[in-house]
Amino acid sequence: MAALLPHLPKRIRLTPSSSTQWICRTCQQRRAFTPSSTALQTQPPPRPSQDDNKTTHFGYETISSTLKASRVGAVFSSVASNYDTMNDLMSLGIHRIWKDNFVRGLNPGIRGERKEGQRILDIAGGTGDIAQRMLDHATLVNDDKRTHVTISDINPEMLAEGRKRFGNSPYRLAKRVDFLEANAEDLSAIESGSIDLYTVAFGIRNFTHKDVALREAFRVLKPGGVFACLEFTPQLSNPVLNGIYKRWSFGAIPLIGQVVAGDRDSYQYLVESIERFPSQGEFRDMIREAGFLIPGRNGVDEEGERMGVGQGWEDLSLGIAAIHKGVKPV
Amino acid sequence: MASPAVVRTILRTPAALRPLLLRAPRAAYHEQHHDQATPYGDAERTILSHALAYVPAHGFTQEAITFGAKDAGYLDVSRNLFPKGTFDLVMYHLVTQRQGLKDRIQFPDETMGVGKKVRSLVIERLRANADAGVVWRWQEALGVMSLAENIPASLRELGLLSDEMWFLAGDTSVDGSWYTKRASLSGIYAATEVFQTTDQSTEFKDTEQFLDRRLEELRVTGSAVGNTMQWMGFQGGALMNMLRSKGVRI
Repeated sequence: MAALLPHLPKRIRLTPSSSTQWICRTCQQRRAFTPSSTALQTQPPPRPSQDDNKTTHFGYETISSTLKASRVGAVFSSVASNYDTMNDLMSLGIHRIWKDNFVRGLNPGIRGERKEGQRILDIAGGTGDIAQRMLDHATLVNDDKRTHVTISDINPEMLAEGRKRFGNSPYRLAKRVDFLEANAEDLSAIESGSIDLYTVAFGIRNFTHKDVALREAFRVLKPGGVFACLEFTPQLSNPVLNGIYKRWSFGAIPLIGQVVAGDRDSYQYLVESIERFPSQGEFRDMIREAGFLIPGRNGVDEEGERMGVGQGWEDLSLGIAAIHKGVKPV
Repeated sequence: MASPAVVRTILRTPAALRPLLLRAPRAAYHEQHHDQATPYGDAERTILSHALAYVPAHGFTQEAITFGAKDAGYLDVSRNLFPKGTFDLVMYHLVTQRQGLKDRIQFPDETMGVGKKVRSLVIERLRANADAGVVWRWQEALGVMSLAENIPASLRELGLLSDEMWFLAGDTSVDGSWYTKRASLSGIYAATEVFQTTDQSTEFKDTEQFLDRRLEELRVTGSAVGNTMQWMGFQGGALMNMLRSKGVRI
């Protein structure tokens, strides 16, 4: 591969065709880069029996839990400036449809006279695309001019993109949008029981401890409030389509990242982190364990098994992404 | 009680099985115990039961669900608890009315025929729609039920209602007529319910006459079909015998 591209700008880092080890001098750690272009890795390495407190996964690597947040931070700092363009390229523009569907399904905004507007918290929503859609829907569809969205992200570069997007828009001037730099596992800046709608779109797979984040979500939501999550799924249900999808993910996406953004490793991390995410059923159970009621899966049949009108999540695009929702009981 | 036929039945039954004769015969395949399971949890049931009170004024819409959620102590955004939206509200109404049918009507008079009991049950179920105040909003509900993703669940619920009515009327058929009875009653009930949505007469008298006409048609068609099949059977048998008498080896 290196022979085909003899003249490379310095910023593009190519993984050599054999595995190498190099030592990061500042942190005295070994890192092994395995080539991803030679073997399309559709089988992730067997998950090490992880003690949740000590190690976690970072894509296919296993790293110490304390380091994950900073590694993820590094990834998103480097992709922040062209995050939206990269999303368009990777999903061929379909991510816009997913996000529109997500927001329309949630139907934010209150019709009619109400004393207070809805308070929405968008987690890991640094660039503000979900927040923009929420405010547009509430204002234009439900004629609600009092909805307020707080955009929260752990990464200041992503938040800066969000601030740029809102610029001097009417929402910003009417103080309907706020920016908060916070870790989703520790939202102490937000008081308990103050949020109507908590959303996280394509962010939760990067969290070190998803259950902690879910419990924080439970805490900040008002009784009756809704937790909504839009996220990629690790496998499609149809094996043939899954094969095609994985070839695209592991083959094309890091390549697009390398060619367009000059950052293959970040996009390699992104597709690997999707592979590591729990399946829809497992994630639904995690949401239920945090205390939420699952829409469409709340009934109990004669044998005591959970049942309902649906599975408890909504698949998008044949299962590439899924919407999970939970309602905090009163 | 002590007729010869009864005594003969008792004496022919093995001694160990005679206690079973004491129980009234019931169709064992009716879901006696399972019909109480609903796919909705407590939170959904609370919200939807409050929401039904708003249906006469607001129809089967998201507004009714939102008002119901507010009444039940939830938030506006809690309408996300219903992935199928207004169809959940319609289904809740259908399920509670079907399960409540046995409490609304009892048949103390044992000599009433099955046909008459079925008629009373259909009329009672339609009256339940009127009592809930949904008759003038029922066309909205029918529209929601006829959306492609909702058709299977709606048809299933219609089938369950028809089964419930035949069961409460005391149907004990064990042959193919079990299926044809339920299918025909489903059709008749659906047609009568649609007719009721435009019925302006006092106490829905026109609907009752519509129902009587449909049941009469069913009776006449049933006997006509039966007679025709019998005639064809005779003709076929006669043809066979005639051919055999001519020496054809069949």
